[in-house]
Amino acid sequence: MADVKKHDTPMCDELKKGPWPSFVDDIEQHGLKGKQECLDLLGLLELSFVHKETHWKHGGIVGVFGYGGGVIGRYCDVPEDYPSIAHFHTMRVNQPASKFYNTAFLRKICDIWDHRGSGMTNFHGSTGDIILLGTTTDQLEPVFYDLTHQMNIDLGGSGSNLRTPACCIGKARCEWSCIDTQQVCYDLTQEYQDELHRPAFPYKFKFKISGCPNDCVAAIARSDFSIIGTWKDDIRIDQSAVKAYMGGELKPNAGAHSDRDWGPFDIQKEVIDLCPTNCMWMEGDELKIDNRECTRCMHCINVMPDALRPGTETGATILLGAKAPILDGAQLSTLAVPFVPMEAPYDELKEVVDKVWDWWMVEGKNRERFGELIQRQSLQEMIKRLELKPIPQHVKEPRSNPYVFWSEDEVEGGWDRDIAEFRKRHAA
Amino acid sequence: MGANIEELKEKILEFAKKKAKHKSKMYIKDLYKADTSASPREIKKAANMLVQEGKLEFFSSGSTTMYGVPGIGKTEEDQFGTLD
Repeated sequence: MADVKKHDTPMCDELKKGPWPSFVDDIEQHGLKGKQECLDLLGLLELSFVHKETHWKHGGIVGVFGYGGGVIGRYCDVPEDYPSIAHFHTMRVNQPASKFYNTAFLRKICDIWDHRGSGMTNFHGSTGDIILLGTTTDQLEPVFYDLTHQMNIDLGGSGSNLRTPACCIGKARCEWSCIDTQQVCYDLTQEYQDELHRPAFPYKFKFKISGCPNDCVAAIARSDFSIIGTWKDDIRIDQSAVKAYMGGELKPNAGAHSDRDWGPFDIQKEVIDLCPTNCMWMEGDELKIDNRECTRCMHCINVMPDALRPGTETGATILLGAKAPILDGAQLSTLAVPFVPMEAPYDELKEVVDKVWDWWMVEGKNRERFGELIQRQSLQEMIKRLELKPIPQHVKEPRSNPYVFWSEDEVEGGWDRDIAEFRKRHAA
Repeated sequence: MGANIEELKEKILEFAKKKAKHKSKMYIKDLYKADTSASPREIKKAANMLVQEGKLEFFSSGSTTMYGVPGIGKTEEDQFGTLD
């Protein structure tokens, strides 16, 4: 047994009793193999449970040379009792696009972190980075050197930087992907290296890229700049496969939900009636779609993947301003650009990015997310700043809330008018 | 740009040193006031160069990054101690 000291942690130990694997078990086992940091970490967690307050200090000036992100200083406020975690910095590592790894990569990164850090990792943080938990200031540069020279990977974003862009599995494994999400993710990561590594903004800024409107990376909920693959033309229909679904030869939802008997597949009930815009119907035994009314909800395609496929004229929709609920509740991204072509080098996309940043860097308040700036200054202002053409799809109820107002210089005669003249024609 | 950026760096450093006497950590937007004719991107670039030269330093909470002047305010050692 390694020469380590285990703290009494009765409350943490309670967490080992549940039906699922516990982080307490994992950390303790690694600690008992010789990592005092892991045992001190559990001891400190127990102390926090007793005191009902944290014993971590927040933030610091630590980092690696030339970078203003990727390292988050963490310090324990009772270092005498838990000396091995007095300094316990986090490093964020830019994950490969779609999180593709081989086992050699994973072994190597674990070896580096066991050697130079606590050995504890978080695969992955919410933004997508590989999170390396717990090391000391003197190890930061050596870890950075090893990551960049031995593993060919870089630190990710933190602080008021562009955060590490993240994408879904995309065309690598998904037939629905309308765009090459990995290429877009890599391109944006390379293009905006400066913003990723050096703080430029009032607060964090996130790109997320999903290949289709199923939005498996949850771009619409989690990113300031959501890029979601879509198509312009018609959904492709294979009528013989539609018949095969109706006849029971093909399983709906590609066989998902088949753990119980839901009865025979009913295309009317399970597809047509669930279409949010009622744009589907049967003519005899042929499925028809009014594609002009389709909102790309993906439901019919998800249910009958052999029969229906996204169109071939593909690109992306850009939505802006999602955030988690620190201020004013959580917010989903709002539609900005319904369709941009997505061919490298993605100039149309980057034009929008530049306009977003130009506005936010000047007008955004400290610690104000881009979505909060839109809320504060209005959607109308966003449309103006981004030089977009207002369209009904920008608002939820365009007939009752057009959300677009005339400015004085757009109105003949401005706001001045002769009230007396008006009253001659209209009683007060 | 070469001469201008040096000039801008000087203005930012002077501004940051003055401001740091009252508030040791400042946001990037505070630094915009060092030269209102410069664009935010120019300020960011110059401020980052100053950090690389060791004349300014970053302070990151993990979610937000601020700028400080080394030696003004609490140092890392003051706040967190050193490891033996």
